[in-house]
Amino acid sequence: MGIIKRASTVFLLASSLVFLTACASPQEKQDAKDGRVTLNFWSATNPTELDFARRVADEWNASQLNVRVVVQAVPTGQSSEEIVLAAVASRTTPDIYANASPAEMQNLIDANGLIRLDDFSDFKDAMSERMSPETLRRYQSPDSHFYQVAWKQNPVMVLYNTRMLRDAGIEKLPVTYSEFLTAASRVTGETAGVRRWMLVIDYLPIWYKRLFDFYPLYLAASDGKTLVDNRQVTFDNADAVAAFDFLRECFARGFVPRQSFQGDSFVKEQVAARFVGANVISYLDKILPADFEYDFAPVPRPDDMTGGAVTYADPKSLVVFATCEHPREAWEFVKFMTSRSNDLRLLEMTSQLPVRTRLLEDEAFADYFDSNPKMRRFAEQADRTRTLDSLAETQEIFDIIAGEFEAAVLYNTKSSEEAVHDAARRSQRILDVQ
Amino acid sequence: MRHDEARESSTFNNIPALNNATAIDNAGIVAGVTANNVAVENNEQDKKPNRFARIFRREGKERGERTEPVGYLMVLPYVLHTLVFLGYPLAFAFVLIFHRWNIYTPMRFVGFGNIRLLISDPLVWRALLNTLYFLLIHVPLQLAVALLFAQLLNQKIRARAFFRASFFMPVVVSGVVVTILWQQLFAFETGLINVALNSLGLTKIGWLTSPNVAMPAIAVMATWKNVGLYIVLLLVGLQGIPSHLYEAAELDGAGAWQKFRYITIPALNPTIILVLVLSTIGGFSLFIEPYVMTGGGPVSSTLSGILYLYKQAFVFGKMGYAATIGFFWAIIVFLVVMIQRWVVERTETERM
Repeated sequence: MGIIKRASTVFLLASSLVFLTACASPQEKQDAKDGRVTLNFWSATNPTELDFARRVADEWNASQLNVRVVVQAVPTGQSSEEIVLAAVASRTTPDIYANASPAEMQNLIDANGLIRLDDFSDFKDAMSERMSPETLRRYQSPDSHFYQVAWKQNPVMVLYNTRMLRDAGIEKLPVTYSEFLTAASRVTGETAGVRRWMLVIDYLPIWYKRLFDFYPLYLAASDGKTLVDNRQVTFDNADAVAAFDFLRECFARGFVPRQSFQGDSFVKEQVAARFVGANVISYLDKILPADFEYDFAPVPRPDDMTGGAVTYADPKSLVVFATCEHPREAWEFVKFMTSRSNDLRLLEMTSQLPVRTRLLEDEAFADYFDSNPKMRRFAEQADRTRTLDSLAETQEIFDIIAGEFEAAVLYNTKSSEEAVHDAARRSQRILDVQ
Repeated sequence: MRHDEARESSTFNNIPALNNATAIDNAGIVAGVTANNVAVENNEQDKKPNRFARIFRREGKERGERTEPVGYLMVLPYVLHTLVFLGYPLAFAFVLIFHRWNIYTPMRFVGFGNIRLLISDPLVWRALLNTLYFLLIHVPLQLAVALLFAQLLNQKIRARAFFRASFFMPVVVSGVVVTILWQQLFAFETGLINVALNSLGLTKIGWLTSPNVAMPAIAVMATWKNVGLYIVLLLVGLQGIPSHLYEAAELDGAGAWQKFRYITIPALNPTIILVLVLSTIGGFSLFIEPYVMTGGGPVSSTLSGILYLYKQAFVFGKMGYAATIGFFWAIIVFLVVMIQRWVVERTETERM
């Protein structure tokens, strides 16, 4: 008995020790050494953005005696959304995060992971310097507070290989469905054993892929109406059906290749068009031969519409996490990062657009757009963009849409009307659970 | 007749234990089943099938008043394990049914919201139909193939041990590895199966990309993966059939088919029930294959209940709805197994 008792005591002690050490992983703060406050900053993982963040931080650190900013890439994992949410749950978030996407915003807010930025008295002033009240409102949360600074956007447009279009007899970039389909029917085909297609779409039925085909097409067709309003689904309409029908026709008539390619099919001139964001420019300039001709146009819209098409902004926001012990300093750095000069640097280094209203009229950026005419296309588009609805259910709604897209567009097992209607009905049920 | 009864009861006593363990392709369970069957054999020889039960009862009476603390200490690990890994999760999952919770944010009470959603969710019913379709192909195929190979491997053939081991191999290999392997075989352009079809002048089949073919393809793959376990189970059963029955039948002039039909099949009946029940339960927990190969597509044709549950829980962070699906699924499995058992038992009594 004695032995058993002693053994069980030892066992209990040992296990509780393991348990305690596992729980109490102390969060090392690098403060103190020189008395400077340290702010940890998570940037996106791609090298150009990481370079940009490091440059900004270096400049800040050189001029600030009390606050030091340390830049890190978001730890890689399955997706940055999961990593960040996991960090929020375990309270191991950094102080500032640069790449909060609208799809994850509401989850971060619900998890009490973020601080309210409009608590800072100069928030409104700082924002009104950057964007119009109308744009600002799109980044407001349903509780009417602000948890994010809209930082940059990559409006979705269509990238065209202008030489391929010209060879097919198309001089003007298509802007309507019928113009696009006419061009597609001429470009798609086989000459001298080489097959060509009009448009490449990453058609895997994964929710976020639909942010770059269905969603911009729908925004264009609906003239900027998003999917949900006040927890009521609003996309059960002819505009969504039109977007579905357009995609359906592209697939049905063979304008989109249903195969995977070795390497980039656009760069290899197998495909003439692609849905892209502005950041593609810094990538294309690096790998394309000098004589490769390309240009951008808004996503196609229904024939009976006039004016420029609205598109998805694909925005990323700066947020300050609730674990931040020096929110005031973090806020100062956020303002520094979104200053005019750093916004210009963002353009130059990453070819991504700062969320600034009337960018083209701002003198600080005039030189840049004069020497980068292709970025001008995106800047022109930038004021006609929408983000996602502030919902925790965004991912799931897009997953439903992706499922219906697969059924109607890829496999032709139901009509566009049925697909849109089914997607809307299911989304509404999910929103109704609360 | 006593022979059959003893066997059957031993078979059914095993099922809850296997249920709890959930990992059906677990070599340990096979060993357990084998040992149990052997125990049955021994009991028969002793002609005292209830010896152990009697010992237990007697001891209980003798010690009735006295409590022995060591006893509690000895059952403690099992009790703790049950409470921590079964009781608590089960109770928590039940609570979750009425809540919305994504791990990160505080739980929110939603009443019957999740249940209402479940009833009106076409994908839940789709997953159920998919699973039934899977079972319809998988279970008979599994049984037929397992019977065939068990019969073959029970003959006196050369390198018998080698073959027995190799058919068991896929059971031991990780499901993900097997699935990735078959994914390569099933690939549309470069897969070995389609290349072979092509060279025979046949058209290629979209094994995993055609909504009509994907589920049967997965069922075939799952059969290949699991059949080794059932071969072993049936082999054990085959070896338990007394050889004098066959000898007597031969004297009476029975052919190979007649011996198989009138001796082997009836004698194997308990094992066949076990195989049926196990592969049905296994079929309801179909997950790795569609998760790795198809993600539930094309057009939800390979979406299984567990895959949908997983997506709800870990992709969309809806633990409450996932728990609701989980309970629903458990009820379905329970019902199906009850029906199976009822049908089998009824036919059993009819035969007698």
